[in-house]
Amino acid sequence: MHLPAHEFVKPATLAEGLSLLQSAAGEIKPIAGGTDVIYNMRGRLFQPDVLLSVRELPELQGVRPAVGGGMRLGVGTRLTDLERSPELADYPMLVRALRCVASRHVRNMATLGGNLCLDTRCWYTNQTAEWRQAKGPCLKNGVDVCHAIQSSPVCVALNASDIAPALIAHGARVTLACAGGERELLLADFYTDDGVVHTVRRADELMVAVTLPPPPADAVFVKETARKGNDFSYGVIAAAGEVTGEVVTGLSLVMGSLTTRPVSLVEPVRLITAQGLTDTAIAAAAAATREELGALTNLYTPAAYKSILARALVTQALQGLRGAAA
Amino acid sequence: MKTVAKRQVMSLTVNGDIYEVLVSPRQTLLDVIRGPVGLRGTKEGCATGTCGVCTINNEQGEAFLSCLTPALEWAGKSVTTVEGLEADGELAPIQQAFVEFGAVQCGFCTPGVIMSAQGLLNTFHKPSEDDINDGMAGVLCRCTGHIKVKDAIRDVVKKRP
Repeated sequence: MHLPAHEFVKPATLAEGLSLLQSAAGEIKPIAGGTDVIYNMRGRLFQPDVLLSVRELPELQGVRPAVGGGMRLGVGTRLTDLERSPELADYPMLVRALRCVASRHVRNMATLGGNLCLDTRCWYTNQTAEWRQAKGPCLKNGVDVCHAIQSSPVCVALNASDIAPALIAHGARVTLACAGGERELLLADFYTDDGVVHTVRRADELMVAVTLPPPPADAVFVKETARKGNDFSYGVIAAAGEVTGEVVTGLSLVMGSLTTRPVSLVEPVRLITAQGLTDTAIAAAAAATREELGALTNLYTPAAYKSILARALVTQALQGLRGAAA
Repeated sequence: MKTVAKRQVMSLTVNGDIYEVLVSPRQTLLDVIRGPVGLRGTKEGCATGTCGVCTINNEQGEAFLSCLTPALEWAGKSVTTVEGLEADGELAPIQQAFVEFGAVQCGFCTPGVIMSAQGLLNTFHKPSEDDINDGMAGVLCRCTGHIKVKDAIRDVVKKRP
């Protein structure tokens, strides 16, 4: 099936791209590797008037040390190049998350920015255009109906990025640029609880960089999926902190692929920080997880399974952290 | 606003031959290779990035998916398809190994499997077992399975100096 009609533009510089974003008549969508955008266009989920190709913008490439420590990652860098980047050797948990994304074929195309801006998905949007047409439109098409959770006033489609939870656990910041200048925010604040407008990026803005603080002492990443090396996740968790014996400081636990935004767990972190990585505390932290996830939907697995999976992931991540320090 | 997909003339090098083709933004690289370029070895499978049957190699020799690549993105660039592997009637080592190990059954996925394996062999001189699994996980064969495919790849690796 051919893609929907659109105009394809490829600016040579970031400044030119930002000016095109600002002056666009109609809907303009940045495209990098294309693995999500083209998929969604073929399914008629995206029907932009203009595609703005940013994958080769020189300003968006490469990894280099950030001012004041840490690393600055250009979001146009391909996932394969990030995985093999010597600059990221001190961030093994992030490299593991990168390696968990889809397949080698996809990672040879997909970029960091594209993965962080992945559109949200649910079992309804994963169907063909014809199937969806028969069922009727949803919140994503401007109608006040959610097919995934019928009582839901907002879109509950899932954020499927494996890398976002890993970066959030590292305390990463993201830089958004527009023709008027730049702004920087925590990646954790980049996402919203609304699956339709699921990031705070304005239409005239482009994500340009991710800044990582110096690496944490200990970190663990766990992904659960149907087929390793191909599929979207059933659920992921990224954990980072400094572990000494059973004592953890600066702990962060971030879950992805279960909800509309990656969730930074609060109560489980408080429990472990107060009680240490004991079996009792880990069990209590796992039990406190479900409460913080909100409504769960039936994408890839039943919601009830996700609830059990979330506990299992928290348990595995915390046991992993304890093992990392041993 | 109703968008008209403006066609553009672009140059694309396929297997060393330069093609000047008239391309619509509605076409993917796969559409152009199978259409105006006229090389039908590369197949369309799922068209969603899962099956890997449309795999070709980029300028660095890496495997990527032509079904998810807008054709105009590749203006002025070059690719290698399965037709570009043999030279002067001689099969490439990976093709010869597929014949010897019977790593083919119905053959539909074979161009994608071979170009995935070639991408792997271009990236690593001596790929490890993990590298082989990683490089081949993105391409699916529904009839022979992947055992003989991996045997064929290991054979090519073994024969490398």
